[in-house]
Amino acid sequence: MKKLRLFLIENSVVITFIVLLAIAIPASKLPGQFLLQEILTRLGRSSFLVISLLLPIMAGMGLNFGMVLGAMAGQIGLIFISDWGVIGIPGLLLAMIISLPISVILGWLCGSIMNKAKGREMVTGYILAFFMNGVYMLFALYAMGIIIPVLNLELLLSRGFGLRNVIDLINVRQCLETFIPLKIAGVNIPVLNYLIIAAVGIFIVWFRKTKFGQDMRAAGQDRAVASAAGISVDRTRIFAIIISTVLAGFGQIIFLQNMGTINTTNSHEQTGLFAIASLLIGGASVTKASIPNALIGVILFHLLFLVAPMAGKNLVGSAMIGEYFRQFVSYGVIALALVLYEWKRVAQEDASRAMLRGGVAPDKGKVNTL
Amino acid sequence: MSPRSLFQRMCVVLALIAIATFLFYIGKGHTLFIDTNALTVGDNELRSYASATVIVNGKKLNSSMGRAERSMVVVGGPKHTIEIVDDADTDRRVTKKLTIPTFMNKVIVSIPAIIGDCPEEYWITPFIPPSMVDVPVEKMQQQNTLP
Repeated sequence: MKKLRLFLIENSVVITFIVLLAIAIPASKLPGQFLLQEILTRLGRSSFLVISLLLPIMAGMGLNFGMVLGAMAGQIGLIFISDWGVIGIPGLLLAMIISLPISVILGWLCGSIMNKAKGREMVTGYILAFFMNGVYMLFALYAMGIIIPVLNLELLLSRGFGLRNVIDLINVRQCLETFIPLKIAGVNIPVLNYLIIAAVGIFIVWFRKTKFGQDMRAAGQDRAVASAAGISVDRTRIFAIIISTVLAGFGQIIFLQNMGTINTTNSHEQTGLFAIASLLIGGASVTKASIPNALIGVILFHLLFLVAPMAGKNLVGSAMIGEYFRQFVSYGVIALALVLYEWKRVAQEDASRAMLRGGVAPDKGKVNTL
Repeated sequence: MSPRSLFQRMCVVLALIAIATFLFYIGKGHTLFIDTNALTVGDNELRSYASATVIVNGKKLNSSMGRAERSMVVVGGPKHTIEIVDDADTDRRVTKKLTIPTFMNKVIVSIPAIIGDCPEEYWITPFIPPSMVDVPVEKMQQQNTLP
């Protein structure tokens, strides 16, 4: 009974979502083939971004809200290839190479700042993303066309500088999805996307086994012990954020090539929140996350995305109610996961303190012996 | 930073620049305007087939092209294959390889020049859009009568 209770508590978020979907999928009356096609497409589109969050969690830095910085770098790469007219998969690879140094610099900056705010990495990353958004806006709305020459005038606003609000990615649109065409029972399978996701998954698994990966885990479990063991904790943490930022940049490129357009000023804004919500819905926590968590999270999150409006329409006559409900549940889960994490942490601290004192935990209502 | 480490990092940076340059070269997009307008070379007037199917890099254009028509296709990279098939006699087909300069974004590909076995410089020409002419207000024509 205790094991069952523990299992339910550990997996409360996943179970909640499965129950919600069990109600919403039949209520939506959407055909199964449609749902399968959409999920396969969205899994290929979004998983890379979510997987990019794993390393900072391993390094004990929590959920990397600073991944938005990588997303900005990815968008800058896509803007340049749109300007230069480089098309297809070479265009995507070039965008990734352009984003790489920008991501490394931003990741280093983010990691350095987070090292000065140990224990508050998540809120620091969140605010840092707002700050860098301003710098990005300066780049997109002022520098492009004045400081940075733009060859394709269609990208610029009519005033002669600053990028338009929407940039068409027609030259690279869905080139990954269509590179290896495979259709089974009327369902298109984006094979190349899955191969890329498998490659990044293998990279993460391999990286964990390397000495640097072990250092990262040690730093994540206990900074003081890791430091005493001769591990350069600060350097390790910076590397975790740099890798995460670089992967987030690549992930944003994969995501946007599937969508086919860049919303210049705000495509990156929701990236962090969306990826973090997906990971938490998949059963991850602030201190523990795995590749299955990322994949399960993307599937559950997107299924709710798909079925909630139609379920809302069929149940209460308004698609908007379903969509509001989905937003409330999806993003509320971030708050729930953070509260659960904090609650567990405080409980563990109380228990260990009580053990040291030789008494019982204070939440039992008994007086501790000092 | 040790000299060895600096050297390794320099090598990585140079390798990335080399890869980026190569990707730019093989991925640079070109807009081809496949053109079947008659072409005069010397004293010869070259004409396209009355109806021709044009295949660029193995992909057939949406519809057959008559004389004096233009179709657009976007391709990536410098080297391409073009195949022109006469719809009246499918055994009459011409296959040629085109090389497009990297920085030529919009190109007119002349089908009569390719069919007529002209030198390569006649096959492709840069597309220069007609420039807008500013006409003084007093010279502007106004339509006074309704149709």
